[in-house]
Amino acid sequence: MPHILFIDSNEAEIEAPFTSGDTLLHAAQHAGVEGILAECGGGCSCATCHVMLNTSWDGQLDPPSDQEADMLTFAVEPTPHSRLACQVILTDAHDGLRVQVAKRQY
Amino acid sequence: MRLAVIGAGQAACTLIAELVRGDFAGTILVFNGEGTHPYQRPPLSKTPLEQSLALDKTRLLPAKLAEDPRIQWIDAAVQSITPETGEVRTASDGVTVDHIILATGTRAVRPEIDGLDPNMLHVMRTWDDRIRLETAMQHARHVAIVGAGFMAFELAASLSGNDRTIHILARGSRALPQVSAESALFLTARSQAIVLTDCSVSSYDRATSTLHTSQGPVTADCIIATVGTTPNVELLLAHGLADPDGVPVDPLMQTPHPRVSAIGEVCRHMHPSIGRTARIESISEANDTATTLAKRLLGTPTPFQAIPWFWSDQGEHKLQIAGLSERSDKATVLQADDRRHVVARHHNGRVTSIEAINAATEFMAARRLFEQGAIPLDPLLDSGSVMALLQSSKS
Repeated sequence: MPHILFIDSNEAEIEAPFTSGDTLLHAAQHAGVEGILAECGGGCSCATCHVMLNTSWDGQLDPPSDQEADMLTFAVEPTPHSRLACQVILTDAHDGLRVQVAKRQY
Repeated sequence: MRLAVIGAGQAACTLIAELVRGDFAGTILVFNGEGTHPYQRPPLSKTPLEQSLALDKTRLLPAKLAEDPRIQWIDAAVQSITPETGEVRTASDGVTVDHIILATGTRAVRPEIDGLDPNMLHVMRTWDDRIRLETAMQHARHVAIVGAGFMAFELAASLSGNDRTIHILARGSRALPQVSAESALFLTARSQAIVLTDCSVSSYDRATSTLHTSQGPVTADCIIATVGTTPNVELLLAHGLADPDGVPVDPLMQTPHPRVSAIGEVCRHMHPSIGRTARIESISEANDTATTLAKRLLGTPTPFQAIPWFWSDQGEHKLQIAGLSERSDKATVLQADDRRHVVARHHNGRVTSIEAINAATEFMAARRLFEQGAIPLDPLLDSGSVMALLQSSKS
């Protein structure tokens, strides 16, 4: 099974298995990754599932939608690699990639 | 300390997660009468009906949290409670706890329609409701949605396609009465549904698949009611701790009985940000009442002070609202183009809510400003946008 390597808000490394079509949020929650609140449950409405992708993801994902980009401007200290985990849909091509969970969601 | 949490929806699960994260020293008995593991409700109406929802993908509590040894899951509905002794009874068993937390939420109102078998009427509140509607949609060609609030338009968007006709029947003079007429017009104009206003339903004729209404006959082989909800207060009514419109609680989510608290959509309390007591149905209310109670149970009581917010996905359009307005509040359009639409609702020169359609920055900026205090109308109008006002307030 492919997996994502999360570095959670406690700096712990967690391997999160996923199936193609899962969101990054679902993979994180399933593996018990700490630091993702996801208050709205994946509705792109709260900006509390903020993660930073490893730069090696560049070009492997569709860019954020306008809605996601707007929400990200209100995440805590967003970077060019910031995403909302609920909006990233995984495929097998993402096996082994790394994701840093934001230190704070507020 | 032994807690009984009655209900396993958004508020209950947020409370459980916060207690586990806060190293709660006690046992949490969770009574879940739904027959499924806890799931998220928003996707039930917001996900296209053609995509069959997977229960596992809408899990509310990560498995790791749900398996915490402090939590005992009891898959049964509670029949009665006794606040004086802390007894909680299901049909087959009884337990005694130190504190009882009502997180029973609400249930969908099911109107009676003459000639319509109640089993034929759909509502959208539970996992079972979703599965029933997914099944019905395999054959339904003409859908009538009774009620014209957010859920009616979410479902209309989720049902469209396959050449279905969709009618939304509004009892009042316009659809989406929760938002300004301006926002309602923007959204209804972009909905696939045919909206009939001042429309009351009188009867259904199954032989001809016809719903008879005050605005004429409507062909319907599937009827969905979205006419509101009723709080599940029955367990507390007999003890004088609830009325038909909810469970009154103080700013720490405590009822007048020291052994009973209530959280989520069932409770009613003072909202400092809107200056009145209200029972609010939203994810924010579920989460914020739960975290308020969690802090109290963890020994750091902090009175409720959150800002209510709401969202509604209607096909490709996303409505987000920060704050809460009375229906009589005035409306001023701040931005309007083909895609973005932002309205300030206000009363006596104070902004009561911001309605943002496809304008997430305005919504988030409004939440930040409300968190800092009241938003006066005139500076907002001078700034031209909520975002600009937020930026000027920082500098």
